[in-house]
Amino acid sequence: MANYTCRWCRSQLDLGDQVTCPMCGAPVDVRAEVTRSGWCELPPIPDLARLQCGRSVCQIEGTFVPVADFNLAPGDGVYFAHHVLLWREDSVSLSPLPLRGALKRVFAGMPVVMTQAHGPGHVAFSHDSPGEVVALPLQPGMAVDVREHLFLVATLGVAYDWFQTGLWFQTADGDEQETHYPLGVYMDRFSAPREPGLLLLYAAGNAFVRDLGPGETLLIKPTALLYKDAGVRMQLHFERPAGTWRTWRTWGERYVWLRLHGPGRVAVHSAYGRFEDPGSNLVGSSPATSWSW
Amino acid sequence: MDVGTRIECQWCKSQNPPGASTCATCGAPLNVRNLVSDSGWREAPRLRDMTEFRFGQSTCQVEGEIVPVAEITLAPGDWVYFEHHVMLWKDDSVPMSVMPLPGGVKRALAGMPFVISVAQGPGRIAFSRDASGELVVLPLLPGQEIDVREHAFLVASHSVGYSYVRIKGLKNILFGGQGMFMDRFVAGGQQGLLILHGYGNVFERTLGPGESILLEPGSFLYKDASVTMQVETQRLSTGLFGGTGMNLARMIGPGRVGIQSMYVHHHTEG
Repeated sequence: MANYTCRWCRSQLDLGDQVTCPMCGAPVDVRAEVTRSGWCELPPIPDLARLQCGRSVCQIEGTFVPVADFNLAPGDGVYFAHHVLLWREDSVSLSPLPLRGALKRVFAGMPVVMTQAHGPGHVAFSHDSPGEVVALPLQPGMAVDVREHLFLVATLGVAYDWFQTGLWFQTADGDEQETHYPLGVYMDRFSAPREPGLLLLYAAGNAFVRDLGPGETLLIKPTALLYKDAGVRMQLHFERPAGTWRTWRTWGERYVWLRLHGPGRVAVHSAYGRFEDPGSNLVGSSPATSWSW
Repeated sequence: MDVGTRIECQWCKSQNPPGASTCATCGAPLNVRNLVSDSGWREAPRLRDMTEFRFGQSTCQVEGEIVPVAEITLAPGDWVYFEHHVMLWKDDSVPMSVMPLPGGVKRALAGMPFVISVAQGPGRIAFSRDASGELVVLPLLPGQEIDVREHAFLVASHSVGYSYVRIKGLKNILFGGQGMFMDRFVAGGQQGLLILHGYGNVFERTLGPGESILLEPGSFLYKDASVTMQVETQRLSTGLFGGTGMNLARMIGPGRVGIQSMYVHHHTEG
């Protein structure tokens, strides 16, 4: 009988004497760290915590650049972008996971090949920068959108798809026009169509999550987005600070923001990559708002 | 001292006096349990901030936790060697020189450090790397040999011999992720100290004779000289687009293997 609701993944569990949530690894014996602005800090998964995913187990090892070490049961499997594989046992077999739209993915700089690993045996994954492993247990019917290149590994019950972000703006420098995609051309969408699954993401730095109410909006730097519920809408917002000349085409002439519209959950990571805005004349964009101070 | 009351360090196997909380030889905490994953990897011991340990007549203090610094107080007559870009600061009085190395041209062509610097005691000198990670302290017993990924070694004491081994096999060189050479450290007639810096977290496991494990080549950090390495390519075909290959290094026991979890390739200047 469920006696505990994980405040991070919201799973309802019979916890027994466990000190971490068996679904997402969040420690149960620490209080929630919520900032005054309402961001809930993801508690780092304690070293050597175990996550249950079907008959398989994932153990999180390390603290700076944590490793996700799966002990796959016979017949269970996971898929991943092949550059995150750290080590595997001989008994774990690898094969490619077919993806639709390979040519478009090549042009968008997304991985063309996802690799599947099948049990029995151990296989481990890690990323290339200090940060946190974010575990998202997906219940049937749930879907999350993840910014490209932040996906670490998912169990085979999780469906993978991708879609165009539809967020862009164009700049002109003389006769040359350039199109920019602050969030990337595509985003990954992970869902659990029939059975529960486990999705692991990699957040550079620290990860923070909050719930947006219906109609509530929030501005974040586009590259800071980690994931969002599929129901959260996005658009661009351009802001011009006071004290700059409109004709002064410098980087500081404008800020490019991502506006998120609730309802739904959104998460950001703190060590986000810098988005290079050339600062040239803005000549067009996807539907966006703007403000000049 | 009563032998039964001594505390054996689980990392370096040195004996420590009763009541000690850190190992006097490698700095590993003695009062915390080993962190071993279900799959058998042991986490390198987390050296506490300001931990101090001895080698020869000198001492080393570890400072910081995100990008730790190894600060060495050299006794008169002791010396350490290192690649010059890892030096953080030193006392004015510490004399510097370079270690003569065989095969300088080969090393330059292979992108290995052409010059190994030497600092002579007495005085203080400190070392650190360029990304977050962990210090791995490996006291070497006489006769012990360890192979280390190039540019991963931070500093070694004078009693440790330094050479390099050429990686055998074109495939191992091209796809092994380590270039043509690995550093080899050998303790001669007396115990020595070798300190590495691993990016991210560092894990170690001991392979039995004939036992093997497949690693992402970029994650390899160190191994006992008795462990052999072979690169294997796995083809992942995707039909129309041909697919891609994945190179994995098969490490075959007996001996220890150390890996780092953040295996991005960091360029270093020789």
